[in-house]
Amino acid sequence: MSQLPSHITGSGKKRPAHADRTPVYALVGNPNCGKSTLFNALTGLKQKVGNYPGVTVEKKIGETYSQHGKPIKIIDLPGAYSLAARSPDEAVTRDVLLGRRSDTPQPDRILCIVDATNLERNLYLVHQILDLGRPVILVVNMMDLAESSGLQLRVDRLEQALGIPVIACEAVNGKGLVELKLAMSRSDLPLARHSWDIPVAVAPAVAELQASLTDNDGRSPLVARAEALLLLTDFDTVRVAGSTPLSARTTDILATWQKHWEGEGTDWAGTLVGSRYAAITKLCVDIVQQTGATGPTTSDKIDAIVVHPLWGWVVFGGVMTLFFLSIFTFAQGPMEWIGDQTASLANWLKATMPEGDLRSLLTDGIIGGVGTIITFLPQILILYFFIGLLENTGYMARAAFIMDRLMSRVGLNGKSFIPLLSSYACAIPGIMATRTIEDPKDRLVTILVAPLMSCSARLPVYLLMIAALLPGTTMPVLTKVGIMLLMYALGTAGAFGFAWLFKRTLLKGRPPMMIMELPPYRLPGIKDVALHMFERAGLFLRKAGTVILGISIVLWFLTTYPKHPDATAAATEQIAYSFAGRAGHAIEPVIKPLGFDWRIGIGLITSFAAREVFVSSMGVIFGAESANDDTTTLRVALQKATWPGGAPVFTTLVCFTLMVYYVFAMQCMSTVAVVKRETNGWKWPLFQIGYMTGTAWLVCFVIYQTGRALGY
Amino acid sequence: MTTPLKKLSPLCQLAAGATGRVCELRGDEDFCQRLREMGFGEAALVTKVSGSTTSLCQINGTRIALSHAAAMNIMIELLPIGPAHDRSRAPFPAPASPKLNATDRTR
Repeated sequence: MSQLPSHITGSGKKRPAHADRTPVYALVGNPNCGKSTLFNALTGLKQKVGNYPGVTVEKKIGETYSQHGKPIKIIDLPGAYSLAARSPDEAVTRDVLLGRRSDTPQPDRILCIVDATNLERNLYLVHQILDLGRPVILVVNMMDLAESSGLQLRVDRLEQALGIPVIACEAVNGKGLVELKLAMSRSDLPLARHSWDIPVAVAPAVAELQASLTDNDGRSPLVARAEALLLLTDFDTVRVAGSTPLSARTTDILATWQKHWEGEGTDWAGTLVGSRYAAITKLCVDIVQQTGATGPTTSDKIDAIVVHPLWGWVVFGGVMTLFFLSIFTFAQGPMEWIGDQTASLANWLKATMPEGDLRSLLTDGIIGGVGTIITFLPQILILYFFIGLLENTGYMARAAFIMDRLMSRVGLNGKSFIPLLSSYACAIPGIMATRTIEDPKDRLVTILVAPLMSCSARLPVYLLMIAALLPGTTMPVLTKVGIMLLMYALGTAGAFGFAWLFKRTLLKGRPPMMIMELPPYRLPGIKDVALHMFERAGLFLRKAGTVILGISIVLWFLTTYPKHPDATAAATEQIAYSFAGRAGHAIEPVIKPLGFDWRIGIGLITSFAAREVFVSSMGVIFGAESANDDTTTLRVALQKATWPGGAPVFTTLVCFTLMVYYVFAMQCMSTVAVVKRETNGWKWPLFQIGYMTGTAWLVCFVIYQTGRALGY
Repeated sequence: MTTPLKKLSPLCQLAAGATGRVCELRGDEDFCQRLREMGFGEAALVTKVSGSTTSLCQINGTRIALSHAAAMNIMIELLPIGPAHDRSRAPFPAPASPKLNATDRTR
């Protein structure tokens, strides 16, 4: 125990003297204020993207150098309107700033970025942050936009009034960055001359909570005061995994005060927000001046078309068509190239290494498993490029606005649109994108239904089945496209249907209270979009390199062992003898009513790693000697496959049923892992597997048995 | 509470292009709080841009979309004036409205 009072020694973890270590800056601001652009401009490629343990909220840390060449660390915190968090994203920002997270040190200094075109609202968060008593640098971004809309901002006066460095900036053009770096390089940063009168009604409560936070939660007095103020407006505090909970004493005091006010009928929260805004308004009187006349801005003019009840849908339809066209056409070439490269790597290994288990593990297990996943990299890159472009220009919020009407029919809101859209490429980025949804129930419903959107991993299965179902030469292309679209429509309808069902039964909640800001349109910053795209691709590759690698090895083991007693046995016999083959036989009674035999069963089991593994499994099982992804050879092999009695396995009906099975079934280990992390437990991922695969079985059973009864 | 002089209607019923003053926020506390924090509190001037199910509004120079359920909870007094973006940033603030506890930030 230190003998000095805590306001001298500070609180929390002791850290080495300032000169010896890298100072940590936190970058904070409202959503859409240009935070990421500034972060990219400051750090360039020196960024590390990870996750806060326990939550799927992205943790971005970058590094830059001071004017004296010393490194500075910057944590890019998720955008927030207020420290009174309403979503997991905002909760992380709050908890890092308050020093509640053990995985992230409390930042030494705070870089607040505000949008000059809407200074007052942006200053609300700054006002809360100044309460923390940490050194703050205020960056007033988008000065160009403010100027063009006739606003004059006296940044020097703001600096005088607050007593902290205030820097006018245009992050997009790099203006003001030098000044910012200079300010960041200062060894001494003044604390804000920040005073505002806490409303009398809440003052005793603030004092009591502050004392308890200092004594029982180990906060320094200033942070304790800021946190006390926050607790009064932070109702059902969004709690995220990995954050230290409050002490029982503090919770008790808070509950007592809340009860007291409820009895009195005091609107303490409204009073607090009101007095903050009053202070901000007073501050802004001399700072913001409207010089020119304002009329509709360019953004408003674009919006007149883009959110128009009719034209809005036309634009939306056009954008979506372009989205799918680019994902499925532009990616074709690179995907084939990657496929060829992995195949030739496998062939080279086969040619150079002696035959044996190690070679088999490398070629069939690792290259076969990880290789097929990496094939999807071009699609993922295009997806993220497109999403980055839509977000960067400001269209994404409009798309969510347009879709809100449709989504509200099933009880979701427009914010669920982005996750569902991403899920057409891959459910994992989709699920990760749910973090901006405030309502936990809406978020969970979106996570539960996202994997029903037909992801690109289902494509190879659909393609193979369509090929097997309709021999290429005799069927018009339109029929194939029609079947493909039918599968997509089925998945989408399933997602909306289940969302509707869950919102009415299991996760009954209030109607969605969506408040979403539509940022002004901007020309996309290609650097930002490209950074975003490569960052995502990097995360995807890391996943492919870890989780999928592990699963691939396990699956390889299951299909390779135990060894067939006859060493010369064909690959087909070996698979039948392996653990996977035995499992296939074991589940045959369950899948026989759907028209699937044990060999398809093996495919269903192995493709639990990833859906497209079904194709390579079928390749190994049915055409061992030509085990590649060439669907033509495989198609012929499939058409020859028969039941013991001689009846063909892959009839038209079975092919169709199998496609439908893949539309609904939860056949993706990586998604399960992400959902588990996202929902902090096994309950929801298991439920998801159960309801999706259960539905798949039921629907397929109905289709197959009806089809049989009709004589197909 | 509403006074007999004011005729309040929910934001979703405001006609496109019309401007109103936020008079009352209903619904959950955390929802009201967020609205206030985003500058959508009592006495704010809001112009409806479009939408009947999902509302698009202009407030303090920013565009905010609100779902139907959210817009239902914002009670508006219709004002016979032009769009809010012409008035929301007048050079100097009007005196704060005494009846509201210092939440007037529309100037």
